Amino acid sequence: MFAYVVKRLIAGVVVVFMVSVAVFLLFWYGPNEPARPLCDRQTSNHCDTVRLARYTENLGYNNPVYSEYGKFIKGVFVGRDIKIGTKERPCPAPCFGYSYRTTVPVWGEMKDRLPATFSVAIGGATLYLLFGIPIGVAAARRRGTVADKALVSSFLVLSSIPYYLFALLTWLYLTVIFEIPLLSNTGYHPITDNPAKWFSGMLLAWIVLGIFGCTQYTRYSRGAMIEALSEDYIRTAKAKGLPQRTVVYKHGLRAALVPIVTIFGIDFGVLLAGTIFTERIFDIQGIGFWSLQAVGAKDLPVVEATALFSAVVLVVANLLVDIIYSVLDPRVRLS
Amino acid sequence: MTAQTAGPETLGHLSDEPPPVDPNSKKAEAITGKSPLRIAFGRLARDKIAVVCAAVVLFFVLVAIFAGVICSIFNVDTETVLATTRVNMLNGGLPKEGPPLHGFDPAHPFGVAPNTGNDNLAFWVYGCRTSLLIASIATLFASVLGVILGLLAGFLGGPVDKVISFFTDFFLTVPFLLAALTLAPIVAERFSTSPNYPRIQLIDLIVVLSMFGWMGIARLIRGEVLSLREREFIQAARVLGMPTSRILVKELLPNLVAPIVVSVSLMLPAFVAAEAGLAYLGIGVTSGISWGQTINTASNFFETYPLFLWEPLIGIVALVLALNLLGDAIRDALDPKTRR
Repeated sequence: MFAYVVKRLIAGVVVVFMVSVAVFLLFWYGPNEPARPLCDRQTSNHCDTVRLARYTENLGYNNPVYSEYGKFIKGVFVGRDIKIGTKERPCPAPCFGYSYRTTVPVWGEMKDRLPATFSVAIGGATLYLLFGIPIGVAAARRRGTVADKALVSSFLVLSSIPYYLFALLTWLYLTVIFEIPLLSNTGYHPITDNPAKWFSGMLLAWIVLGIFGCTQYTRYSRGAMIEALSEDYIRTAKAKGLPQRTVVYKHGLRAALVPIVTIFGIDFGVLLAGTIFTERIFDIQGIGFWSLQAVGAKDLPVVEATALFSAVVLVVANLLVDIIYSVLDPRVRLS
Repeated sequence: MTAQTAGPETLGHLSDEPPPVDPNSKKAEAITGKSPLRIAFGRLARDKIAVVCAAVVLFFVLVAIFAGVICSIFNVDTETVLATTRVNMLNGGLPKEGPPLHGFDPAHPFGVAPNTGNDNLAFWVYGCRTSLLIASIATLFASVLGVILGLLAGFLGGPVDKVISFFTDFFLTVPFLLAALTLAPIVAERFSTSPNYPRIQLIDLIVVLSMFGWMGIARLIRGEVLSLREREFIQAARVLGMPTSRILVKELLPNLVAPIVVSVSLMLPAFVAAEAGLAYLGIGVTSGISWGQTINTASNFFETYPLFLWEPLIGIVALVLALNLLGDAIRDALDPKTRR
């Protein structure tokens, strides 16, 4: 077990390293003049060749790429100084550079936006499970009935509609047209300031995310449940006279949950990495919306940092899922 | 199937073979050899939902192909006009004629856009063209790439398989939306002054979509090939001294038609949705015509001019839904194990 975890951990570190190199190279070789967005912004669009050359020199674009990558990695772990304009500015660890737009360290801004994204992700993912699994189990128990067929086909149609259109329409109707009191004030308000406001601002995003995401979980749990309920040990449990409830939930659901946990872990990672559409539509100032705004403003360090952040989150999520899976299901061979 | 006999006490029919028929009857004549694809196609033609969906898809394909003709029939175009000739700037930029304030305007059957005065019908049909063009080219590239890599990984095995599988997993870890988001400002910075910018943006989008769309099909094909390559007909081909490339193309590929068709038919709607979604976020087609872009603009006018939003929205939903349901129907038709 320990060897397996170590092996997976090393593989995860390799992937993160590869992503960081890829992202760094992309931002190094991609733009023609990587210093121009900053130069334009700092000189209010009066960026001539002399100024551009100075910014290029200060940002280190004249040095070899490997030494700059080394500085970048060093900055992430121990911090460094960054020269913007004429001043040397300190950038404490973990340093992802300075935002071109606001000229504050990227990590400081990211820290402020993480709670919003985490709120969306945790609430949405909770509703995935809360709606998805009970509906799936209920459908599996009533397999073949009219209700089951109606549910399966309506969820198929719902999940075929692009998510962002579903979210956009819901937002437009509930907050713009009908102005439902509890839901219409969407946005992120820190939970420490006013928990009630935080809750009502997030509620619609959670519900929309939950309803849309739960279609998938209903399908998975219905399938897994049907499979589990046809196993021999379920018949044994029924034969020895256990109550229906115990048979379904204790014997059936426990076996059916293993694959669902796997999918859930990865989905949760994707949500944590940034729910761009949800944050954009419901005006929640999280990581996803931030990276979108940074793209519009060509704020390269922010885009770079968000890309790295989500890669790390996803790698960790994958790792945890693999480990949990091997704990839950003893049949998985660790080799 | 007779459900009464298949209870727990009797085993029912042990084989699924049809009961023997009188060789002289009409039915016996009808039984001829049919390829699995023919059988699947027959099943599909009998599936009502599939037929309706195919008709809807065909409609959109025709709209996309004949976008120019449709525009000239209705006498509309995508040219930008002096906005004040069509919209009233004092009234929040709403159109002077036609919806939402007035009735149907025959000069602009879908109405005109607020503020800019662009014709909605022309933008709708060309948006359909953008959508289908990007989605189908990206599907083509992604599936070719996926099939080739899957074939190689599955058939050659060893280090080739290891490398390809590693990259498959690697690309599966990177979320597509973020990759598109990361590439968008770089491409914009590099080429925004180029006169070919709209075309470059289109190519960039197709490359990003195909780069993050090939993994599913590669995995599927690899798995299929892993089991197929141990079969007798492949061994026979090897013994005969057939070169590997010929075995891959002539022996393996024809056996993989079904999974490829299914993957492709489900990849297309995903790409249509992704294209419009990126355009909605402002990181896809920004210097051309796209449904997603119109939706982005229209959501600000929804209170006063809902029709403006509904037109592209219905376009996307109908196309994606029809393609998805058609894909599901194709999968069911090709799968011999589906219960009917």
